[in-house]
Amino acid sequence: MTIPPYRPHRLLAALLALALAGGFATGCDFLDPTEVENPRTTDDDLASANQPVRSLLPGLRAQFSRAIGSTVVATAVATDDYSINGTGLGGNDMDFPELVTPNTAVINSTGATLGIYWNLQELRALSDFVLNDIAPNDEEASNALLAEAHYYRGMAFLLQAENFTAVPAEANEAPASAATLFARAQDDLQTVLSLDEGGPFALPAEAALARLARGTGDTGTAATLASAVLTSAPSFLFQQAFDEQNLVNAPHLYIVTRALKELQPLPRLDFLDPKYTARDAGIAVAKAEEMHLILAEVALDAGQPEAARGHLRDALALVAERSTTAFADDDPRFDNDLNPRPRTSDIAIAFEPGGDFVEGLVLDRPCAEGVACIETPTVSGTSVTEAQLTAADAAELTRLLYLMRQEILLLEGRRLHDLGLRFPMMLREIEQNPTIAEGDPGTEMVIPAYIPPGNELDLYTPVEIYDEDGNTIEPEITLLHDMNRVLATERGLLITNPQVP
Amino acid sequence: MKHWYTAFMVLTVLLLAVTTVAAQEQGTLTGTVTEAGSSQGLPGVNVVIPALNRGAATTIDGVYTLADLPAGTYEVSARFVGFRPSTQEVTIVAGAEATLNFELQEDFMQMDQTVVTGTGLSTERRRLSADVSVISTRDIEESPVASVDQLLQGRVSGSSVRMQSAQPGQGALINFRGITSAFADQTPVIYVDGVRVDNNTGTSFSFGGESTSALSELLTNDIERIEITKGGAASTLYGSDAANGVIQIFTRRGQEGQPVITLRTEQGIDLPNTQFLLDTGFSFASNVEDPDDPDFGRANFIRDEILRTAHTQNYYTGVSGGTSDVTYNVSGRVQQSGGVQPNNASTLYALRGNVETKLANTLNVSFSGAYTRSNFSRINNGTAIADPLTAFEVGDAKFFSGASTLDEALDLFLLPTIKEGVDRFTLSTTASYTPSELFSSRLTGGIDSRSNEQRRRNPAAADALTGNDGGLLTRFDRNFNAVTLEYQGTISYPREGRLTSDFTFGAQGFREETSTIFGEGETFALPGTEDFGEAGSIIADETRSQIFNGGFFFREQLGIDDRLFLNAGIRFDGNSAFGDDVGLQAYPSVGAAYNISDENFWRGRVQSIFSELKLRAAYGATGKFPTPFARDVTFQANAFRGEAAPRFDNPGNADLRPERTATLEAGFETSLLRDVFGLNITGYRSITSDAIFSVPEQPVTGRGAQLRNVGEIRNRGIELDADLRIFNRRNVRWSLGAAYGYVENAITDMGGAADFNVSTTVSAQQRVSEGRPVGAWRATTPFDSNGDGLLDASEFRFTDTTPFPDHTGSISTRLTLYNRLNLFALADWATGAEVFDWGSHWAQFNGLERAPRPTRFDTEGNEVGKFSTAAAGTALLQSGDYLKLREIAISYRLPERLIEQANLRSAQLSLTGRNLLTFARQDFVDPELAGLTSGGGLQLGGAQSITLSPPRQLRLSLEVTL
Repeated sequence: MTIPPYRPHRLLAALLALALAGGFATGCDFLDPTEVENPRTTDDDLASANQPVRSLLPGLRAQFSRAIGSTVVATAVATDDYSINGTGLGGNDMDFPELVTPNTAVINSTGATLGIYWNLQELRALSDFVLNDIAPNDEEASNALLAEAHYYRGMAFLLQAENFTAVPAEANEAPASAATLFARAQDDLQTVLSLDEGGPFALPAEAALARLARGTGDTGTAATLASAVLTSAPSFLFQQAFDEQNLVNAPHLYIVTRALKELQPLPRLDFLDPKYTARDAGIAVAKAEEMHLILAEVALDAGQPEAARGHLRDALALVAERSTTAFADDDPRFDNDLNPRPRTSDIAIAFEPGGDFVEGLVLDRPCAEGVACIETPTVSGTSVTEAQLTAADAAELTRLLYLMRQEILLLEGRRLHDLGLRFPMMLREIEQNPTIAEGDPGTEMVIPAYIPPGNELDLYTPVEIYDEDGNTIEPEITLLHDMNRVLATERGLLITNPQVP
Repeated sequence: MKHWYTAFMVLTVLLLAVTTVAAQEQGTLTGTVTEAGSSQGLPGVNVVIPALNRGAATTIDGVYTLADLPAGTYEVSARFVGFRPSTQEVTIVAGAEATLNFELQEDFMQMDQTVVTGTGLSTERRRLSADVSVISTRDIEESPVASVDQLLQGRVSGSSVRMQSAQPGQGALINFRGITSAFADQTPVIYVDGVRVDNNTGTSFSFGGESTSALSELLTNDIERIEITKGGAASTLYGSDAANGVIQIFTRRGQEGQPVITLRTEQGIDLPNTQFLLDTGFSFASNVEDPDDPDFGRANFIRDEILRTAHTQNYYTGVSGGTSDVTYNVSGRVQQSGGVQPNNASTLYALRGNVETKLANTLNVSFSGAYTRSNFSRINNGTAIADPLTAFEVGDAKFFSGASTLDEALDLFLLPTIKEGVDRFTLSTTASYTPSELFSSRLTGGIDSRSNEQRRRNPAAADALTGNDGGLLTRFDRNFNAVTLEYQGTISYPREGRLTSDFTFGAQGFREETSTIFGEGETFALPGTEDFGEAGSIIADETRSQIFNGGFFFREQLGIDDRLFLNAGIRFDGNSAFGDDVGLQAYPSVGAAYNISDENFWRGRVQSIFSELKLRAAYGATGKFPTPFARDVTFQANAFRGEAAPRFDNPGNADLRPERTATLEAGFETSLLRDVFGLNITGYRSITSDAIFSVPEQPVTGRGAQLRNVGEIRNRGIELDADLRIFNRRNVRWSLGAAYGYVENAITDMGGAADFNVSTTVSAQQRVSEGRPVGAWRATTPFDSNGDGLLDASEFRFTDTTPFPDHTGSISTRLTLYNRLNLFALADWATGAEVFDWGSHWAQFNGLERAPRPTRFDTEGNEVGKFSTAAAGTALLQSGDYLKLREIAISYRLPERLIEQANLRSAQLSLTGRNLLTFARQDFVDPELAGLTSGGGLQLGGAQSITLSPPRQLRLSLEVTL
């Protein structure tokens, strides 16, 4: 055998061979066969958690924020509280109750700020998961932790009962009616009290039970619980917190952050807007004012206008104690045709055709850049005065009660329930649940006969108020309807006529 | 899987150990390869002596040299894409130089051209039962494009290749043979020298709907050829990854001989194409009536003030050469462009090296590597408020910026910046071991590693526009790594006689890891900083994905009388994304090719008309694996007030399996009238079963949607390629080419799942619904509700159109004069698509009617104005039909006299143009553009805001070789 002479390219070849082998060798670790690791928590991972209930509770807290935030936004735009500017909410169908269907963007949304149906169901389902699947095997799940979880589930049921006719509470099962949902909410909220009587969720649960009793027309329970809350904490305020970066106050997004300010208030509510000027501003879930208003409603129901007047005065006094904030609002208050809506303090508003023109309801905006030119309430505000209360008869007191509820509880998710409107469930639920068909209870928007047609809930005349230079040419504007008068005359008190399906 | 991997390692070491070669008496072979009918040498032709496992490529003059050849008589073959191969015998005498010249005949049918994609071994086209498209060196060299995706436009029948916009960093939406999935990206998988590379079309954060693409760094320089299979039987050996088709890129190897240095300089201009900007009389400027207003008369503000002609430059240096045992090809490229929009400049640096060495007569090892660095700036585009083009076109610019003049507004719009840098390494190593003619084998391993960093900065001064009064810095990093390893062996026995057999077996695996990190810092005290640490608040997020796919395959190919070829194969695949209850997946294929014109009965008159005719039919299955980890039940926590707040994430599916696309195809290739006319027709029908839909859970469960194999999708269509040689004289050669594709797509079974949208605009949905194409448009449609003949209501209705075309085609022509002057032109067209015109929707918001909308009446018959864009989605769906004059290239080879004086081997001057003319049926959107794509998942394109078309490009280049 002849040994081949040395040639330089043999060295190169050897180096290449070495590189090849080295590449494969390092590739071996890198390629390391079939093993992959899911970077998220799997069900196996969860099974090994130390205190799973404690670990999952922050998820419920965050979901409660999504549920409250999206409930507030959806109910604000579907009622006379706010109308929609621009396309950020999927168009303005929500301003037209007749156009709201299971497929309307806000209803069929799974988003954190819009999807009322989705977020309430997720809150309930996640609570179910924690209470039914996890808690029984978690020895370290304290009563306080369990009470908190029951509170969230109870609130999910309560908000569903107030805003929907019927929604399913189990997969593949027929929807539960609003009455059933109220009952389930009651069970959970009472469990909160029994598990942790003096705990942080006891008073909120009690206040929610008072609200629930109003919703079901149980005047005695409503009055007892409302009084109990006020006795425990006369200035009671329970707010759900948001996160400045990761889960912002949902209505704040549409009244402050976004360039188009999609939520535009009814002109007579202008002085209350924006209520949430910080991204992490809390939304009141329960507060003492509402207890006073419930007591007033019970008194009116019982034919005791003087007692009601007293409770309404208590509410006014409490409102006066609540804080306000100065804010540099840059909202030019445009409508969909780029007409400025009322935005100067020289505007007077009649609540309905033929009504008196009321001044002082509209603030001057937009502010000069960086100048905090407006001041708005952060918890409660109202235009109703002591004098109005004093002068009112029983019928007017009912109107004023609704008006105070509308103003004091603005952007807190109560108005849809007060108006008697009910949302349909989201299309996805109807499509995926084999027991639900279109047309079944809960699948259509419920609109009482006294609700005006089209988007008249939000309308006023005239719409061209200013000239091209911004000078006021129409200082008096008239709303098409005073829905509080309509409610007072057509519906009567909610506690008297709860319309629970 | 570990076992076969270890086996590869052992085999590799064994192969590398065989390095001893017996010394022999040696001689040299040299010669010139010319094009038939011409004295012009053909560069890049492979001249090989199979028996010796030796080969060389011809130089720029067409000259090849093979030195150190053992004495003996050998068959020598010359092969070049687009020409018929030629084989001659030569005798090498020790110590002497033999000369052997070749004349290659241009070959429309390309029956003898070899391909490797989908066959496992180098196979002549005459043996293929399913069509494989090839893009040749010539196609690549004459095109002025920079990246492979652009090169495909108009060059592959049955394909739809749509660019996004004029912005740098973008990649095309590519689709072969229809949409096969309702959930997955349709981009074909791409291999470079056998290594699977990143083909993701959404590699950055989307600011307004457009994201960047990994296709943009797949450069066209130093590519020898590209082979394309469009799914179906030809792709079966690629298993669970090949339903979209396979693009194989082969880079250029060095050639034996003295070093050849190639220098190329290219200077050019990009001209903005304003065809689809109404601009004139449309934005607010046209409403300015006061002659003293700074905006008076500036109705063409976009054209005059925002867009501009950009200069581009491109420099290339390559060195190629080698000895009989080692060849090399090394090159570098630098490219710079200013961009036709502001904040759109780009630079690119690319290095590539190929080294091939012969370790023994039986063993070759080759190495190829590339590094690319790309830097570019982009602007917001699409649905972002800060998108300057949209804002100025539809009149929002002053409103959103709060500026009092258009100039001030523009200054503000250009303050936000989006910069991106990409680093990409692609390495491939192949060892080929051929101990005898009866057995050959190949081991390939390699890596593709790509990382990009995108930084969006909204300075505080742009507050009016962005809402970030303290400034904002957003950073998005994506890191991609893929390793590919493949072994395949072929036993060829018997090789001669009436019956021949090639049995191929092998295994292939790849692993991909992708991670992204998103960070955002807000509120900076002082201007100038781009440091997260200085932000008042910081949020961050990340994603990680890993996937492993491994499989083994077998394929048998029988040849009968060298005219009838039968093949059958199967691949078995395992994949880490399959559900726990899903085992190995099998993908079978069978096929037959019959070269009927080789039969004796074909001779005579028939052959004088049909010079060649091949019939073929094939059936094959391919797969598309599901998203990594989509099988698992997961929970995901988000930050909430200092706590980690978990919620339900993925519902989980233990039965999750790949989508399976089974394709039956048949066709023929024929050459008529002695190569005057060539025709290649294929008809196919493919059924994607186990189609994956993202099926929503019942909301009552609180859980989102889960990928489930529930659907069935059908595609059927026809593809046609035709070539006509009009003149073929010594000094004048002129040919025409045409390609056509038609595909009909339909969802044949929803598996009980409810209809859903792939994508939604304000008034039109890309809908998935049984009996209709994937993504069929469903738009709000004005209609007459009470029979009075007047439109008074609106509802969502299907429009019977799709966001993608169903007819596509191209025509090309090539003229060669005196073997010196070449002219090439290419136009491509598409019909059948509709594109949603977001710009006209935004215009309505400003009270402007950009696209006409129908008049609305109430039920009493009173006119109540126009339908809104929300209620008249059909008015915003614009025709997607187009014809584009895509390329014109003129090249001139400088006379030898001049070249010799300058001491050069060759010199060529080229003038090329691209995107020169567009014909469309409407003026609102460029119908070709894919428009808004968010990356990840199925992207059908078909929705655009005000988006600038890719610029008209003019390039002048000079290439010299030393």
